[in-house]
Amino acid sequence: MIEINQVSQVFQTSARQDHLALSDISLTIQDGAFVSILGPSGCGKSTLLYIVGGFVRPTRGAAKMKGRAITGPGPDRGPVFQEFALFPWKSVLGNVMYGPRQQGIKHAEAEAQSRALIEMVGLKGFEDFYPKELSGGMKQRVALARTLAYHPEVLLMDEPFGALDAHTRTRLQNDLLNIWERDRKTVLFVTHSVEEAVFLSDKVVMMTRSPGRIREIIEIDLPRPRRRTELLLDPRYQKYIVEIERMFDDSGEGE
Amino acid sequence: MNGRAITSDLLLGMIPIVLLVALWQALVSFGYAPVTLLPPPGQVFSRMAQQLLSTTFQQEIAATLFRLFAGFSIATVLGVTIGLAAAVNPAVNAVVRPIVRVLAPLPKVALYPALLLLVGFGHQSKILLVTFDALFPILLATYYGASTVEQKLIWSAMAAGTPPREILFKVVLPAAAPSILTGCRIGLVISCIVVFLAEMITSTDGLGHALVTAARTFQAVDMFVPLITISLVGLILNGLLELVRSYLLRGFPEA
Ligand SMILES: Nc1ncnc2c1ncn2[C@@H]1O[C@H](COP(=O)(O)OP(=O)(O)OP(=O)(O)O)[C@@H](O)[C@H]1O
Ligand SMILES: [Mg+2]
Repeated sequence: MIEINQVSQVFQTSARQDHLALSDISLTIQDGAFVSILGPSGCGKSTLLYIVGGFVRPTRGAAKMKGRAITGPGPDRGPVFQEFALFPWKSVLGNVMYGPRQQGIKHAEAEAQSRALIEMVGLKGFEDFYPKELSGGMKQRVALARTLAYHPEVLLMDEPFGALDAHTRTRLQNDLLNIWERDRKTVLFVTHSVEEAVFLSDKVVMMTRSPGRIREIIEIDLPRPRRRTELLLDPRYQKYIVEIERMFDDSGEGE
Repeated sequence: MNGRAITSDLLLGMIPIVLLVALWQALVSFGYAPVTLLPPPGQVFSRMAQQLLSTTFQQEIAATLFRLFAGFSIATVLGVTIGLAAAVNPAVNAVVRPIVRVLAPLPKVALYPALLLLVGFGHQSKILLVTFDALFPILLATYYGASTVEQKLIWSAMAAGTPPREILFKVVLPAAAPSILTGCRIGLVISCIVVFLAEMITSTDGLGHALVTAARTFQAVDMFVPLITISLVGLILNGLLELVRSYLLRGFPEA
């Protein structure tokens, strides 16, 4: 379980002004839940994810994982950044093997596990490619495999599919759901897209425009496993989307 | 790059050199320059072929190469170490920054008389001068590369379980490799120039010394031979460094 308790984040800008990025965020995420964070650009979604990741220390309040205060990054929480952040000097295999090797797993075993993961994300045959030789969607798959390779309990995904075309995006959403349904990791998923949030999540956390506060938490009560083609015809799915879109419109906070 | 592209690049690269030699020949043939001052290229090259086979001349080359290598290697080790340390440690940076600001623009050759008095006429004074001159471009490039490493790369490694003290070697150093190698390339060219210069000023051997000796006795042909030899040495060393570079940077874009 992840608990976020009255977290506020103030940034010092270069002009020496205080900028309130997050204001009094409290949120509890159950083990195995798929939770999306939805909000306008600049409302502090990434910042919130970095705080849970332990990359950024909140100015006020605290985040806890399994009852223990988060004081830094750790392999129990695996980030997938929007910018991919693959190591350019390592091949696909080298990137995916990095985590297991850091965890002290023997080379041969780490390699076998990593090859299996690469196959799972659909990149068999690309093991020796370098990141620069991959397309955006392939890089995103490698980034996901690299994080899955060290078996984090929580996945922290920052708009992972934001930069992809609609088709690749749908495919990766399905792949992610399959992986999640298989080992039920906790997922904290940041996105701009209302549709994506409703399709993937158990819970959608809507944030307000900067300074980010929690505006509304919507439980998504749709059956799993979810099939996009079936959901598109499902009135409940459509209702969620319309409801959330309206909330954006109401406060003039749409994109 | 494939073999054919390399060959055609090489051929294109030869064109200006061929033109230069043709111009040289023209200057001599049409009598613009007296043969005693500017000997025809054929004469210089045949003299050079002869010299390259003589032990005395080989020893001059060896002396120059040794100084060049020693100075450049020390500069590389020092430059990379100090540059990295300054980039990751604010205290080191506070100490190094003013020193670099004062010393970098200083014409290092002005220190040469003092070096001669301190360590004598042998190898050390030349090696030290080469080190001083090659140090700053390598140091500055390393510092720049190491302080602009993408934050998310460091976070990705930390999340995978890399302890903070290992981040320097596992992420910062490889991520800064393109800048470091660019610095080395500049440092190498400077090393070639400076070793020759130092030998011209005061030396008992080396290519620079051979040039000065020939000039003092008005032997124009013998003056050109060391000059062309040092440019060939520079060309070959640069080619070797380029090979190392393209191997080490095979994963980076535009390498
Ligand atoms: N290091 C920083 N220094 C100063 N201000 C920052 C810093 N990081 C973020 N901010 C500010 O905090 C606010 C929230 O940033 P954040 O990146 O979390 O937004 P976001 O919701 O992820 O936006 P987007 O959807 O565009 O990615 C922004 O207004 C930004 O200017
Ligand atoms: Mg963001």
